[in-house]
Amino acid sequence: MAVTKVVMPKLSEQMEAGKVIKWLKKEGDRVQSGDILAEVETDKADVEMEAFGSGVLRKILVSAGDKAPVGALIGVIAEEGDDINAVVAQAGGGAPSAAASSASAKPAMADRPAAVGPQPKSEDHAERTPSPSKGPESPGIRRAQETVAQQPAVTEMAPRPQAPAAADGGRVKASPLARKIAAQSGVDLKLVHGSGPGGRIVRRDVEAAAAAPAAAAAPSAAAPSPALRPVTPTVTGPEYEDVALSTMRAAIAKRMPLSKAPVPHFYVTSEVAMDRAWELREELNGLEGQPKISVNDLVIRTCALTLLHHPGVNASFQGESIRVFHRVHMGIAVALEEGLITPVLRDAHAKTLAQIAVEARDLAERARQRKLRTQELSGATFSISNLGMFDVRDFSAIINPPEGAILAVGSVRKVPVVTDEGLGVGRRMAMTISCDHRVMDGAMGARFLQDVKRLLEEPLRLLV
Amino acid sequence: MAKYDLVIVGTGPGGYVCAIRAAQLGLTVAAVEDDRPGGVCLNWGCIPTKALLRNAEVVHLFEKAETFGITVQGMKVDYAAAVQRSRGVADRMAKGVEFLFRKNKITLVPGTGTLKSKNVVEVRGKDGLTTLEAGRAVILATGSEPRSLPGVAIDEKTVISSNGAVRNEARPKSIVVIGAGAVGVEFADVYRSYGVEVTLLEALPRIVPIEDEEVSTQLTRSLSRRGITIKTGVKVSAVKPMGASVVIETDGGRFEAEQVLMAVGRGARTKGIGLETIGVTLERGFVKVSPTMETSVKGVYAIGDMAGAPLLAHKAMAEGVVAAEAVAGKNPRPIDYGNVPSCTYCRPQVASIGLTEAKAKEGGREVAVGKFPFTASGKAVAMAETEGFVKVVADKKTGEILGAHIIGAEATEMIHEFAVGRTLEATVDEIMHTIHAHPTLSEAALEATMAALGHAIHI
Repeated sequence: MAVTKVVMPKLSEQMEAGKVIKWLKKEGDRVQSGDILAEVETDKADVEMEAFGSGVLRKILVSAGDKAPVGALIGVIAEEGDDINAVVAQAGGGAPSAAASSASAKPAMADRPAAVGPQPKSEDHAERTPSPSKGPESPGIRRAQETVAQQPAVTEMAPRPQAPAAADGGRVKASPLARKIAAQSGVDLKLVHGSGPGGRIVRRDVEAAAAAPAAAAAPSAAAPSPALRPVTPTVTGPEYEDVALSTMRAAIAKRMPLSKAPVPHFYVTSEVAMDRAWELREELNGLEGQPKISVNDLVIRTCALTLLHHPGVNASFQGESIRVFHRVHMGIAVALEEGLITPVLRDAHAKTLAQIAVEARDLAERARQRKLRTQELSGATFSISNLGMFDVRDFSAIINPPEGAILAVGSVRKVPVVTDEGLGVGRRMAMTISCDHRVMDGAMGARFLQDVKRLLEEPLRLLV
Repeated sequence: MAKYDLVIVGTGPGGYVCAIRAAQLGLTVAAVEDDRPGGVCLNWGCIPTKALLRNAEVVHLFEKAETFGITVQGMKVDYAAAVQRSRGVADRMAKGVEFLFRKNKITLVPGTGTLKSKNVVEVRGKDGLTTLEAGRAVILATGSEPRSLPGVAIDEKTVISSNGAVRNEARPKSIVVIGAGAVGVEFADVYRSYGVEVTLLEALPRIVPIEDEEVSTQLTRSLSRRGITIKTGVKVSAVKPMGASVVIETDGGRFEAEQVLMAVGRGARTKGIGLETIGVTLERGFVKVSPTMETSVKGVYAIGDMAGAPLLAHKAMAEGVVAAEAVAGKNPRPIDYGNVPSCTYCRPQVASIGLTEAKAKEGGREVAVGKFPFTASGKAVAMAETEGFVKVVADKKTGEILGAHIIGAEATEMIHEFAVGRTLEATVDEIMHTIHAHPTLSEAALEATMAALGHAIHI
């Protein structure tokens, strides 16, 4: 009888290693081809791993909770009498099962930075950064660019939305009918969990996603934070616990250094007097039949208009050139329960405040319902991350490549201010721009910020 | 007391498939059977009738030999020989099941099984009583039997059921078939092909009433052309055997014939197997089951005809697999009862899957319908089998294949294109972009699909 090697499957193009969540069969169990052997965690999804041969699961080489590189032997299926020593020896040096599992799994991780897109393997580390480093005429780079563009635009926290059914970077397993219904109802298949064979998205999954209530939304800022609930202090019990990385968290952990390390960030902070903007907003929101305008809507409009005058900030590093964008596609960070996603408000520079308010709210709402279309998650030229609702004074954000900059916006605070008459109360808001030093210099960032500040302080300009 | 992981009562298509699948999964299995393995399907239903229908088809081909320039003189048809051939076919298939049981080490226990408790089955055989204990589960697969009308006793001589029809070597001069579902229509076809005067009565407004209305219309035309008298919308009030003949009184007139075939449906066999003893819940005469075929009593499963409609062998087989896998601790995929093909093997054959046009519209769907007649199919014309058509009912918005209805030669072989398509949630676009070999009857499926999209090529 044949000996079937069970290897860590490559479940996505950029997958280099997978973690065995749990084995559904134990050593000595009889398995049929097609049985689910184990659940494997990748950076995108938990996937069931099928047996490709029948026999007895003779050996488990990677125990639950451990990782193994793609292609590594993690188990052996054979008949009772078959000699599997050679196969096991080949993989783990003949070590006994328990030792082999940890021994073969851990070093194999090798702390290699994972490629962001399905980029050619030959590229060296520097070139594997999200910003392509060759001229735009290179087909390889164009491809990489496309890949990057296809990725949902995200900010510092979420590398990309969880794509449970996308078995590999691009292809989503879905039935033709599911695809059609998804297209018609605006459901992004990348955000749908497939319940069909092998995780295939079928009609019922899309229908369920389309009907999903907004209840899936992230906790609103108004909801009391768990931190406010009383916790009884304790001095007994374990001192700490290690919480395993969720797939999304693991992906964030993997991808963020790919921005932070190779992209030389610098930061410029400025404070804006928001008194007039605040008044204007109150006045606008008092008008009947007008959409409610948020502070962030004002910031979006301001940045979009200002970027038109500062094209150097609305730019992307392309290796041997800098791509300067003539249109402003604004990435807007939206907090989700499991991370953060950045839908893109397209052509923000050409939209009125009311249009921006309506579109931004719709994008945020649908982001929480996971109903965004792929194209709404990619192609930002600049991003805004606003943590104002969390009463944050200021913070700095990590650039989402290939964008050249991101603006981190804090809360509008009432602070004592010195006026001509003496001491008064004013509303102030801090903004910090993170810039890619390969694209721009400190002064460019500062000049941009200065104009943003000026415009917000003369907010009537936002209306014309 | 012999102990097995699984005790199955009944070895029809549900029971025997269940037994084999369970054995494959490593369970020890005992299967109880009071007839031959294979049940009604192999012995008295699907298989022997298909043999008879093939005979009918061969007779038909000889009759139209002139079409092909072949002259046949002195042709004689021997109905008894047809029945004997059919018995031979059934016998061979039953032996096949016995072989599969041996191969899979399934213990066949002859006799009538009765549940004594939820895990003990008592078998009354020729040699007395045997008691079987089920370690994991008992699976009931006792099937169904022909029903009659109230007050009409079936004697299998003048008033016969399909059981008699498939056995009787003498054919009557005339017969009234009551009920124009699959069974009634198939026997009407066989008898008519052998020169019997056939009257087909149906209480509902049309024959093959579960099929699409256009299929019924086409089949009525085809069968009428062959000399079968069809009366629909008639209620039978009495069936009176009068010695050498039988009189059927209806609200649509009085009919007389040598025999009457009761083909008014089948009822589940739920009596005498101890269901009451252990408290298995019934629902409208059938055993109530969960999606994994478990009855209201834990550890007791029911599959096939006794577990409810549709009463079809292939549905029973699928349920047998589900039950075996559930008992073996697998997580079987539940059956999609909306995607079970329905086939009638009369000439022309009828096959369908999914919703009829009327049902789809009732369900509020906006439908696109495409139809392609076999008169426009090169292969059908070459075969001189141009009766019938393929009809596709699709959702106008999504292109979902809601239903497919085929009437014509080899319709029952052609339906699976749509069955696979529906299982994979293909839409009309995928069918359309599948190149179909030319010339084949299956091209009609492609053309009907294209017709639903508004651009069939060959009509």
